[in-house]
Amino acid sequence: MSDAPRKLVGLVLLLVALALPFVLTDFWLQTGLFVMATAIGAVGLTLLVGVAGQLSLGHAAFAAIGAYVYAFTTGESTTTVEGLGLPPLLGLVLAALVAAGVGAAFSPIAGRLRGIYLGLATLGLVFVVRHLLVNLDQWTGGFVGRSVEPFAVPGFSFSNRDPDYLAVAGVEFEGLHRLWYLFVLLAVVAIWLASNMRNGRTGRAWANVRDSETAAAAMGVGVAGAKRSAFVVSSAYAGVAGAMLALAYGRVAPDVFSLTASVDYLVMIVLGGLGSVAGAAVGAVFVTSLPLVLAQYSSALPFLAAPGSGGLDPSTASRIVYGLAIIAVLVFLRGGLAGGARRLRERFTGSTPVPPVDRPVAEEPSRSKETTR
Amino acid sequence: MSPPLLSVEHLDVVYDGTITALSDVSLVVEPGQVVAVLGSNGAGKTSLLRAVSRSLQPYGGTVTGGTVRFAGEDLAGTDAADVVRRGLVQVPEGRRIFRDLTVAENLRAGGYTVKDAKARAEARDRVFDLFPILAERRDQPGGLLSGGQQQMLAMGRALMVSPQLLLLDEPSLGLAPLLVDQIGEIVTEINQQGTAVLLIEQNAVMGLRVADAAYVLETGRVTAAGTAAELAASDEVQERYLGVAVPVVATSVVEAEPAIPTAEPPQQLRVEGLTVRFGGITALSEVSFTVEPGTVHALIGPNGAGKSTLVNVLGGAYRATEGAVHYGDAELTALRSDKVAGLGVARTFQNISLALEDTVEDNLLVGRHRLMRRGLLPGALRLPGARREEREHRETVAGIAELLGIAHLLRTPVHTLAYGDRKRVEMGRALAARPSLLLLDEPVAGMTHGESQDMAETIRQVRRDLGLSIVLVEHDMPFVMGLAEQVTVLDFGKKIAEGTPAQVQRDPEVLRAYLGAAAA
Amino acid sequence: MSYFLEQVLNGLSYGLVLSLIAAGFAIVFTSTGVLNFAHGSVVLLGAYLVAVLHDTIGFWPAVLVGLAGAAVVGVAINALLVRNLADPNPGTAAILMLGVDIVLLTELTRRIGNQVLTLGAPWGASVVRLGDVTLPTGRVLAAGVTVVAFGALWYLFSRTDLGVGMRAAAADGPTASLMGIRLSRTAATGWALAGILAAVAGIFLTSFPAPGVAPTVALSAFAAIPAWVLGGFDSVPGAVVGGLLIGLTSALVTGYEAELEPFLGSGFGEVAPYVVMIVVLLVRPSGLLGSKEAVRV
Repeated sequence: MSDAPRKLVGLVLLLVALALPFVLTDFWLQTGLFVMATAIGAVGLTLLVGVAGQLSLGHAAFAAIGAYVYAFTTGESTTTVEGLGLPPLLGLVLAALVAAGVGAAFSPIAGRLRGIYLGLATLGLVFVVRHLLVNLDQWTGGFVGRSVEPFAVPGFSFSNRDPDYLAVAGVEFEGLHRLWYLFVLLAVVAIWLASNMRNGRTGRAWANVRDSETAAAAMGVGVAGAKRSAFVVSSAYAGVAGAMLALAYGRVAPDVFSLTASVDYLVMIVLGGLGSVAGAAVGAVFVTSLPLVLAQYSSALPFLAAPGSGGLDPSTASRIVYGLAIIAVLVFLRGGLAGGARRLRERFTGSTPVPPVDRPVAEEPSRSKETTR
Repeated sequence: MSPPLLSVEHLDVVYDGTITALSDVSLVVEPGQVVAVLGSNGAGKTSLLRAVSRSLQPYGGTVTGGTVRFAGEDLAGTDAADVVRRGLVQVPEGRRIFRDLTVAENLRAGGYTVKDAKARAEARDRVFDLFPILAERRDQPGGLLSGGQQQMLAMGRALMVSPQLLLLDEPSLGLAPLLVDQIGEIVTEINQQGTAVLLIEQNAVMGLRVADAAYVLETGRVTAAGTAAELAASDEVQERYLGVAVPVVATSVVEAEPAIPTAEPPQQLRVEGLTVRFGGITALSEVSFTVEPGTVHALIGPNGAGKSTLVNVLGGAYRATEGAVHYGDAELTALRSDKVAGLGVARTFQNISLALEDTVEDNLLVGRHRLMRRGLLPGALRLPGARREEREHRETVAGIAELLGIAHLLRTPVHTLAYGDRKRVEMGRALAARPSLLLLDEPVAGMTHGESQDMAETIRQVRRDLGLSIVLVEHDMPFVMGLAEQVTVLDFGKKIAEGTPAQVQRDPEVLRAYLGAAAA
Repeated sequence: MSYFLEQVLNGLSYGLVLSLIAAGFAIVFTSTGVLNFAHGSVVLLGAYLVAVLHDTIGFWPAVLVGLAGAAVVGVAINALLVRNLADPNPGTAAILMLGVDIVLLTELTRRIGNQVLTLGAPWGASVVRLGDVTLPTGRVLAAGVTVVAFGALWYLFSRTDLGVGMRAAAADGPTASLMGIRLSRTAATGWALAGILAAVAGIFLTSFPAPGVAPTVALSAFAAIPAWVLGGFDSVPGAVVGGLLIGLTSALVTGYEAELEPFLGSGFGEVAPYVVMIVVLLVRPSGLLGSKEAVRV
């Protein structure tokens, strides 16, 4: 697909996103907020895992850091938890920066490990961060977490107050509506930045580090630096996503950032197709909205039973659908949804890029003879 | 008349659905025969063995045409385990013994399909008779054996099933001449005990000495066949594989100013006393030579001589154990790979290392990485400077693609390209880095004769137009003869000769290395 | 002093059970290159089968069914899903196993509901007294069974054709298949073994002093991941060492939680294995007993 249709699709999607708050109920608005927050996290992770090839099971840890940094820096001190009471915009920037800084601090470890080793080391990160969240309770509120200041710029709050009443074209714009536009803005910027990085000098360096560190280095790419920048960028994305989740919930608690959340991010980008920015966003829509939607509409679905009745309750059903979807995509769809879409497009336009090839090839493309002696 | 033991008819093999490794190959092995298949790197020899032993699939290969019959039966639809049970066993290239298993366990794995304990004990006794050293070291891990002993273990492992036909893939690879002779004698002995052998060899002399009949395979096709004696006498085989009768074209050093003075001027490259060891294995031992600025310098030697190791040290991918390499004033051996690249040293890889999912253009642009200045943030924000830079470099690589004849492929993902085009893309990526020193690791391996000629012309043109130094690694002697001003010959990690192509070609040490001990 | 000794013995016994799970990770990984995130569900599945069947068919037959069930599920996962991956590589395989884990665990959780099923183990809540040290019989039995299980594994891998073939296949699959070793068969054996080990571990993790079969048991497999990793990805002896190390660490950190809390915070026992794992990986990136070249991901 050339650039023009891609831009058109993007523009249409943007217009739809801008129009949705006029028609959606609060449930759907809330779902949309979660989707946009996790989409940003997924986009960051696909840059790290899909483009740069560095497996991470610790994305939720960075999201947690972002969420708690926002909550701590913008919150007011109370009898139970401390807060700095900084302006929310500054808090959001700090969320990204601190998460990025922790990512940078972790990158020397990442530089020593590869593949599954790296994945499992980052798995440890989730548990360590969770332990800190539970124990540093004067800042985090411990197990129960703490409440989160709504986002605001001077004179305008993204909540139900200040201004107390705001209506556009007869639709009252409450906190959810206002946040919606903030999140759309953040998501558009995040996706735009990610696409630029993916398609530019940095993204090429990442992709070459993924495919062969030796070849990348031979082309002058600093491998350790490239890995570090991928970790920093993806952690910053996770930090922003975490802060957005905190805003969407209005609270932060350690359970939001469990290992399951890390797995969910990974599933989003694999379902969407590794390395595809758009795919990551689509994956986020599916993974995040599925359980919410099934729970909301369980009464309308005949096969679902009420929770606790021993039958198939909505959360169980959504988990099973979720698991089966992962299995189905991995078994049937090469390259995830993005790969499927690409092949569909190729079939549709009749253009297969595979030319007939009739040249001989060296045997054993992956093994150097000199090292086998 | 009984059918031949092995008959291959009109065999076609394709890898990854796109890359043809063999086309229309036919071959016969009669019971009790030793048949050799000769050919250079990438000729398709290993693919042929894999097609026979039904082991193409793990490497992404498939038989797309023709048949393979063993003792009259079509092997289509059988798997690797079936053919082993029928008495056909392959010894893979590079021995591939199980290093963590003991010698006895390696043999046990080899006899996996033999369920009869008595037959197995007999087979093991035969192996120990043939290779007494294995009996002596039966409880040691295979990884502790020397190269020659590992080759014996690999062959012994295969003999555990008392096969009718033994497939040997480059048994002499990387072995000292004396050991090569010994392996040759063992092959003859195995054959005399009634086992037919299909032998793949790059060492043509060794192959032809032990074989009854032989085939020459070139870029996936059989180009010559006959009895071993006939082939050994043929001019073509002598030229191509023995390198003896090639008329030497003296290459005049081009003195002209470079037409496109894009690179920084090349510097002198000095390799001094370079030694590289991996674990206990010495890959390079006290190698020294000098590459004068603006010349083409070839490094040649048989497989396993240490050529690729040397290139990897020059490019910063491997560490030197001792010695140093200087490029001008800079000490390459003290620098990381990316810093070496930053000095204007670019390279290609023997096995092609491109970002397969990306387009040709993106792969070429990676070569420009060191010349681009805009970092992460300007790129992410698409600031005007970054956009301009990106545009300029896209134009530059389009020009390079033009030079290499791949301009029409710029927007094509690399994984869909043919092998020859991939080689060109890799060359283009190296050139895009605007090098003053270009390291080419086997640039024509696996190419047809015509493609090799084209590549040779491209290399000449690049040298002439860009005025850079080129270090050219090749095992194919005739190819470098018309290209290089200076040649350094490596064998078993040591420099055995150097000089002009004409001098090197007459050097008795070189003849010995290429032709085996018997020729000297 | 006897408190300390009790903690150490408890830790060792718990560590041995962990090493059963860790060995399952290692066997599946070496025989098929899969990071088996569904291993925890298989642990739970084994225990669950015993819990629901022991009333009707008796405890020991139920154990047999539990072991067989876990083995069959492992083999089926490999044959039906892993071998059919559209894009087979360690990364997609690991995520596939996450999907399998979600399905299995959700279904088992639904079946178990809010109850804690009892296992019906004949040793019940009895304890063994050694001097002034008191240990649950289940823990002692676990240690004994584990030692026997590892003895059997050693015999299999060093004294039988199948075991030597499996090691050959793990070391170099394509070459092993040239010897007539069918990789599908060694892979299936690996998954079956891992399933059996998981079920054995599941039985001991759910009998006294544990309350019974509850979905949280699946999480204990996660505690075995650090044990596996720090032992080395491809090493069964490494799994034993790793399991013991993690078991001891957990038991001591938990046993002395009150003393440690001011420095490490509460609940450090859950995190300690991961901290140990990260530290070991930093010093030895391929684990304590892992071979350097074994994994190229």
